[in-house]
Amino acid sequence: MTTKALTLIEPRRSLLSLDLQALWQYRELLYFLVWREVKVRYKQTAIGIAWAVLRPVLTMLIFTVVFGHFAAMPSDGLPYALFAYTALLPWSYFAEAVGRSGVCLVGDANLLRKVYFPRLVIPLASVLSPLVDFAATFVVLVGMMAWFGVVPTRAVIALPLFLALALCTALAMGLWLSALHVRYRDVGHTIPVLIQMLMYASPIAYPVAIVPERWRLLYSLNPMVGVVEGFRWGLLGSAAPDLRVMAVSTVVVMVLLITGAVFFRRMERSFADVV
Amino acid sequence: MSQLAIRATGLSKQYRLGPTKLRHNTLRDELTFGFKRIFRRNGRVRSESDRIWALKDVSFEMKEGEALGIIGLNGAGKSTLLKLLSRITEPTEGRGEIFGRLGALLEVGTGFHYELTGRENVYLSGAILGMRKAEIDKKLDAIIDFAALEQFIDTPVKHYSTGMFVRLAFSVAAHQDPDILLVDEVLSVGDLGFQRKCMDYMQRLRERDATVIVVSHNMFAVKTLCKRAIYLAEGRVRFDGAAEEAIALYEREGRLGTAPWAYQMMGGNPSGAQIRITDVQLFDEGGMPRAVFDHGERIRVCIEFDAAERVMHPNFNVSFFRSDNLPCCNHNTAMDGLPIPWIEGKGAIEVVTPPVKLVADLYSIHVMVWDARFERLYAAQVGATCHVRHRELNKHFGVFHEPAKWRWVSGENGLVSTGAAPGVGRS
Repeated sequence: MTTKALTLIEPRRSLLSLDLQALWQYRELLYFLVWREVKVRYKQTAIGIAWAVLRPVLTMLIFTVVFGHFAAMPSDGLPYALFAYTALLPWSYFAEAVGRSGVCLVGDANLLRKVYFPRLVIPLASVLSPLVDFAATFVVLVGMMAWFGVVPTRAVIALPLFLALALCTALAMGLWLSALHVRYRDVGHTIPVLIQMLMYASPIAYPVAIVPERWRLLYSLNPMVGVVEGFRWGLLGSAAPDLRVMAVSTVVVMVLLITGAVFFRRMERSFADVV
Repeated sequence: MSQLAIRATGLSKQYRLGPTKLRHNTLRDELTFGFKRIFRRNGRVRSESDRIWALKDVSFEMKEGEALGIIGLNGAGKSTLLKLLSRITEPTEGRGEIFGRLGALLEVGTGFHYELTGRENVYLSGAILGMRKAEIDKKLDAIIDFAALEQFIDTPVKHYSTGMFVRLAFSVAAHQDPDILLVDEVLSVGDLGFQRKCMDYMQRLRERDATVIVVSHNMFAVKTLCKRAIYLAEGRVRFDGAAEEAIALYEREGRLGTAPWAYQMMGGNPSGAQIRITDVQLFDEGGMPRAVFDHGERIRVCIEFDAAERVMHPNFNVSFFRSDNLPCCNHNTAMDGLPIPWIEGKGAIEVVTPPVKLVADLYSIHVMVWDARFERLYAAQVGATCHVRHRELNKHFGVFHEPAKWRWVSGENGLVSTGAAPGVGRS
């Protein structure tokens, strides 16, 4: 007779165990949850995934008219439409990822109440699934760059790093927000406002150059500043992001991410009872 | 030879619910509460009484291949125990050891998404239950086959009927092949043929030496599947042993308790009721106390009551509830032609039912006292239980059976003239 795996059930004492091993065991579930979100997202819509593209494109058009034309916002010497859309690319991904992951646990409340699996899988899936939308919006960018005749610089190879930073930022926020959301439904109302505030605190409609020098350090605490800067640097050849700024935002993200994961694991124990 | 499958040692779970005013659902509540606590230093707002032990000191061991039934009233901690064992929630105290792969079936259709097709849902729900993709690939045909849904497997499940949905969902769950299976009251869904399949499946699991824990209100299911049962009461193990004995104890102690559904209607305080049912006894027509009746016999229900104050126009009700909690029939003084002007103090009243036509099953008899217009409920108690016996009739035939009149419309003695229906009435 083979010896069977032993599962222990007891009150958790250590707060720092992330149990990444369990997460690895359930990696296929992660895949299926991502796949579910992607599949379900645009079911019963007439234009399907085109919505993923349409939203940033429409925002870009509005920005171009309002900020580019009316307000004559400087755009690092680039066509304003391209300038804005390049920033909207990581931004849309980030906004979508935070929006989805922030409320993901309550959305899957029946799963939390009825089955066991590492709960971290749910926010992870919510952060990964908008990458599909990102890919679709990226195709449009390639078209726009060809149209405006802009050639990416060699720094384009750093793009995945910036995307990874956006992903980590979204995940960090998603972990905090979703765990809080289980207990306080206020979070659901806060998220859209939070995302909007962050958008104006990121150089999307305007270049970093117009932010007064003395505010820069505080400003760069927002990790999306570095991400947007990095995208413009790699794709459009504008000035490289300040290394100091990048270091600050990366540290901020890592702190948020680790504390977020610990907080999530701590709250996880009561998810099924409270949600 | 047989090894240990589950060992639970002092498993306890505390919930901090308490009175509703102490619950903090929004950040604002929590903040104001926090401030109050800071300013009111000595006031221990959250006391021990706000916490309840949903489960306390539950210990038991199960050998591989054993089948265990868990019974108890609503709120006795049955579901909490399953949730702890399946790791959905963590115990407050104690520990459990599970040897082998554990599958839990706490709900049919967990993780199903209405927009996805049947096939897609098989993968999704399988993954949620902890199956690997390769495993689902291998079992896909068997799953679809078991659910008998070949034609509809690529249709979104939102177009499924409830029966189809349940069949597919159960089919996925049934193919987990766990070493240990936890089942919570799911076998009572679906149509007759499907229920048979479920029972067969459980039996097959048993033959394969899987360990099974069944939570059910259906004492028959518990009796059929399990030799052993744990009777939980108020979060503690009241009895652990032979299923027959556990069920007998449960039925004895469940007597004269307030019916669970009536708590709300009676203002949450049944002890302050104006009328108390002090005893309910069952006799046959001849006056002999009985608990088992044959289909077609009359049952004499004798009710003793105590009215603390004068109650005008009381309406005594006797209702039969089947073991799956289905209300089956009702006799009441108002409709059966015994108007009562008022009652006060102690008394007894008796009803002799018409020949019982209910199908064979276990019934609990609820005794209620309403006002004449069924607006106010004075008392509602689970009075007694009785079995109705019949060789064939069971709940798959419906609620009751009465002979009907049949006659030939064409053909005679089974010799149908078209010849298309061979052998009707012959052989």
